[in-house]
Amino acid sequence: MISGAAPKKLDRRIVIKGAVAGGVAQLAAPFVLTARAAETVKIGLDNPLTGTFAALGKNELIGAQLAVDQMNAKGGILGRQVELLVEDSTSGDTATAVQKALKLIDRDKVDFLIGNINSALAQAMANTSNQKGVFHIVPGGHTDTVTGSQCHWNVFRVCNTTRMETNSVSKLLLEGYGKNWYFITTDYAFGHSLQDGFEASLKQANGTKLGADFTPLGTTDFSANLIKAQSVIPDAIILLLAGDDMINCLKQAVQFGLNKKFHIAGAQQELEVNEGLPPDALFGDWVFEWYWKQPGVPHVEQFVADIRKRSGGKVPTARTWFGHAAMWSCQLAAEKAKSLEPIKLAKAMQGLVLPPEVALMPNNPYYRIGDNQLMPTLFVGQSQPAPAGGDPEDLFKVSQLVKGDEAALPVDQTGCKMEWPS
Amino acid sequence: MTQLLLFNVFNGLIIGAFYALMALGLSLILNLSGVINFAHGGFLAIGGYLAYTLIPYLGFWGALLVSPFLVAFIGIVIERVLIRRLYGRDPLYSLLLTFGLAFMIEDGTRFIWGAQSLPYQIPGWLAAPLSSEYFFLTGYRVFMMILVGAAVLGLFLILNHTRLGLRIRAGTLDLETVSVLGVNVRVLRNLNFGLGIYLAGLAGVLAVGMLGLEPTIGDNLIMPSFIAIIVGGLGSLPGTLVGGLLIGVASGVTSVFFPSASEAVIYVMMAAVLIVRPRGLLGEEGRF
Repeated sequence: MISGAAPKKLDRRIVIKGAVAGGVAQLAAPFVLTARAAETVKIGLDNPLTGTFAALGKNELIGAQLAVDQMNAKGGILGRQVELLVEDSTSGDTATAVQKALKLIDRDKVDFLIGNINSALAQAMANTSNQKGVFHIVPGGHTDTVTGSQCHWNVFRVCNTTRMETNSVSKLLLEGYGKNWYFITTDYAFGHSLQDGFEASLKQANGTKLGADFTPLGTTDFSANLIKAQSVIPDAIILLLAGDDMINCLKQAVQFGLNKKFHIAGAQQELEVNEGLPPDALFGDWVFEWYWKQPGVPHVEQFVADIRKRSGGKVPTARTWFGHAAMWSCQLAAEKAKSLEPIKLAKAMQGLVLPPEVALMPNNPYYRIGDNQLMPTLFVGQSQPAPAGGDPEDLFKVSQLVKGDEAALPVDQTGCKMEWPS
Repeated sequence: MTQLLLFNVFNGLIIGAFYALMALGLSLILNLSGVINFAHGGFLAIGGYLAYTLIPYLGFWGALLVSPFLVAFIGIVIERVLIRRLYGRDPLYSLLLTFGLAFMIEDGTRFIWGAQSLPYQIPGWLAAPLSSEYFFLTGYRVFMMILVGAAVLGLFLILNHTRLGLRIRAGTLDLETVSVLGVNVRVLRNLNFGLGIYLAGLAGVLAVGMLGLEPTIGDNLIMPSFIAIIVGGLGSLPGTLVGGLLIGVASGVTSVFFPSASEAVIYVMMAAVLIVRPRGLLGEEGRF
């Protein structure tokens, strides 16, 4: 008899249970860190630190941490030091994100709630924070409903709506490349919202949607979608993907040679994605929501230098700026309201203009009255390989600056019907 | 439409072959040791990251050659230190262990290489399309198909024409008898585990040529691999190969008509096989 030789009976049920466990594992998430101190103003950050959006979450965290240190060095909020409590919301599990938000609100008694990157999680958190009456800023979840049909008096957003992104770049695409488009779109709230926006622009310009493929989040092989796109000979293939899906699709589009036959473009692109692409896959027209290279814009150089010190020499991305701006917005609202009471904070945020050291972009971004959406500047341009002898992270060339309020729908068309507590 | 379908069937076959490569490694380990290796995707990621790290020193081809062996070595050490202790216990123990190991590997790669995707450059001539006039195929996919084919052929040659392969096959059928005949079962399991992990490492090096290199790269590939095993039949390596190819083609063809169901279709296939033929297409009756 061999010691421990024969495996116990292994049947299909166990293998299937294992497969189910594997699926659950992708949703499960470890918990990260909290730090405590007495008499502090508490800001809870409930954002992905594991899974698909971990890299984006980490950059928002770095920006938030810098903001907290800057605030504390200047006396904190209302004379009290600021404490950042961080929770891992996971990248896609709504229940976990909401549960972590409730933990921050009910147990940790945070004064401000920040999160989420994932659109669906951001909306779920917004609904929860509204029920609890807690002041909440969404730093990087783009779906329109957050400041649209499901807007709330207590919920503000730093990043753009998807419609702002599509409106800012669609004119360039329509005039420059033609009106027959094929969409490859990620199959969740973010992708659907982006496609709706582009379709509206197409309709307005009498353009044609030649086809659209909704691909599941986490798709690895885009060959079938690219084959279909090629077969209808579009003027432009519009990629409405995010994160690794975008990387996978762009790499494969290059390998199929589609970038040489068709114009490939999209709405949102991120530096995190560009840094994961080989040089030959850095092409196309996109929108960046913030870019680190802004010669002559006050305080940007200092911000870039500060972030480089904290991130191993890497430059800030739009995500870093989101985290930084969201934290500072809490401070600005509290100082203006001279209170931490949520309703007073929310009132103080109406029309609040970000000062240059927080804005870090031209055109004085402000929180719009009526839908609580920040109106920043959008950076339209082209992805590019790093210039020879230049900074290796200079992977985007800004060709156009678009004011947020020129790209956004008017408040009365957003679907937002703000209801304030009596 | 016919041309579109043909293109997709062919590309589906290529992707299916890739799933099969991963699934064969899983299947080898499962068949001999009864271990459901949930860390297989993690080993795939390590393969990709090691190749990325080695390219500046060894070049693309050197990294392609060396990385899978390094991953296999890591696998052998892990089997020796951790997994061996759970043989003979309920398979759920090893399932839980590899489940935890998968998280550790993912966070480990995140710690060492960062959470952000890394740019993995393949040689220009491989990254180019072959022709999109008559068929829609990239040089890299053909290269991948050739390597997968060579790896599968090599595996079947090892299993059918070497003493090690003979012992693995015999052990899969009756490990106790193999042990009684004087075979060192510990070493056999250790080498078999290394062989399975080698295939995961090779899959990882190949995957990063067309996918983003980031810590969760294995997550989206591990489920199709398990499904390939279930569809093809537990205990059958040819079945695993067939299962991989089938789900690849099914996913590709579904993309033509209903892209958002391209992932769901493989789960539907698994359900259908479990209902109609629970032992899988080529699985042996009563084996599991």
